[in-house]
Amino acid sequence: MRVLIVEDEKKTASFIRKALQSEGFAVDVCHRGDDALTAVTTTPFDGVVLDIMLPGRDGLSVLRQLRERNDHTPVLLLSARGEVNERVEGLNAGADDYLPKPFAIAELVARVRALGRRGAESKSPLLRVGDLTLDTMLHRAQRGGKFFDLTAREFRLLEFLMRSAGRICGRMSIIEKVWDYDFDPGTNLVDVYVKRLREKIDEGFEPKLLHTVRGAGYVLKE
Amino acid sequence: MKIRTRLTLWYATILIVSLAIIGVGTYQEIAEQMEHRHLRHPIWEEAFDETSEMIFPVGLPAIFLGLLGGWWITRKALAPVTALTRAVESVNDGNLREQLQRSGNGDELDRLTEVFNDMKARLDGSFQRIREFTLHASHELKTPLTVIRGELETALREENFTPAQKERLVSQIDEIERLAKIVDGLTLLAKADAGQVKLKFEPVRLDDLVRENVADAKILAQPQNINVDLRGCDELTISGDRHRLRQLLLNLTDNAIKYNRPDGSVAISLERNNGFAELKIENTGAGLVPELQPRVFDRFFRGDSSHSNAVDGCGLGLSIAQWIALAHRGTIEFASEPNKQTIVTVRLPNS
Repeated sequence: MRVLIVEDEKKTASFIRKALQSEGFAVDVCHRGDDALTAVTTTPFDGVVLDIMLPGRDGLSVLRQLRERNDHTPVLLLSARGEVNERVEGLNAGADDYLPKPFAIAELVARVRALGRRGAESKSPLLRVGDLTLDTMLHRAQRGGKFFDLTAREFRLLEFLMRSAGRICGRMSIIEKVWDYDFDPGTNLVDVYVKRLREKIDEGFEPKLLHTVRGAGYVLKE
Repeated sequence: MKIRTRLTLWYATILIVSLAIIGVGTYQEIAEQMEHRHLRHPIWEEAFDETSEMIFPVGLPAIFLGLLGGWWITRKALAPVTALTRAVESVNDGNLREQLQRSGNGDELDRLTEVFNDMKARLDGSFQRIREFTLHASHELKTPLTVIRGELETALREENFTPAQKERLVSQIDEIERLAKIVDGLTLLAKADAGQVKLKFEPVRLDDLVRENVADAKILAQPQNINVDLRGCDELTISGDRHRLRQLLLNLTDNAIKYNRPDGSVAISLERNNGFAELKIENTGAGLVPELQPRVFDRFFRGDSSHSNAVDGCGLGLSIAQWIALAHRGTIEFASEPNKQTIVTVRLPNS
């Protein structure tokens, strides 16, 4: 997967590049908005990480220009402002995802990876990770023949983690997808829910499936 | 004493003194003429009577008319001052840009209005600069925060650290996250102050949001064994911004749990009351002494600084809650009986 990073802050661009490269992405970097437009025209990319504040041409205008040209390369917008209106504005302009700064690298990597998978995401009603299964039609989850009593929210959380199995889910992603909050709740809501979920699906079972990645988020994997 | 009363009294005194001077003058004149005419000693009583006859029937009504006129003139002269006072009274940090109406006739009061408008403009400029400063500061802080966080995470992944070193780095990342939350909260409030946050109003079933919030609160409260109780929940639809109302509810319930005592309780109720949706959140925490209560919605206000470190949070939750309530043309109140009960009441117009 080939990704273009458009970020004028050199240090930020550098650690995003390192992180994506270490995860096996081919990465190009440019520091100006107008250069980004040229780069996207000459090279096909599987995804673009686009900062909003850029010299030359700002990220939102680059994005609009791309979409006007009928270029549907998936775009992840980065913004230092991290404020509701801007998020809505970005998604309206045609962004596929939006991440406010400062972000966890693991979260960024997971989202860039999701960009490539956009549309191809499994819609299967039956999800399986190890011996844990979740039936989204019957609203049932079980492991080793034992059915779990889950609240609606716990069920959505488990479904989200299972659909992203093997990938780190950052707190922000969980808040957005499971709670549909467009703000950082500033509480340990996610951690408390994950802890409860872990007690239900992991206690008394081996191997443990729900893991914490300190400083980044959670991952469900064998 | 009002200026008008004082001026009228002065005016009355002047009129009476002038009348007295006229009286004395007239009396002397009459007495002199009598002396000449009769060539004998003046008859003082006669002269006095004659003077009184001349002065009182004309002078008294004249004084009365004069006083009436004077009262009317001062009233007319001071009316613009009263109007100006009323206008100045209504000035607050939100309407500094509105200019006061000038009479345009170039008199002293017109000049005063002009000076006052200039002062308002200067104040507005200062407020504007403070807001912009907060906005820029919070924006500028995010870039270094992103870099520090990214570098720490990269180091954690690439270098070989001992578990103790790793723990230290992770704890630094936690602190950066906390700082980022404060910066986020500041940005939001700075934008709200500048009127730059647009709310998306739509019909919202407030009772659904409350029930959803109570379910989350129950789980948030479990670690401290706090009991969360939904006392009543009337079916209510209001016009509001769904996300902001959820943020308001979460901020308030989260506070009620954070500042509670272990094994305490939180009671939540939503009722229809006089055209308002009335949301009450009670908790059994330490609360606040009355002198500190007016400051509870201030930014970064911490009730008891001695235990402020024990509670994790950005210190902006209640300020944000207040902004959301006001932005919905509602009110928010805080009442506390220390160590017994603390109640936060939010009233939102019920459309």
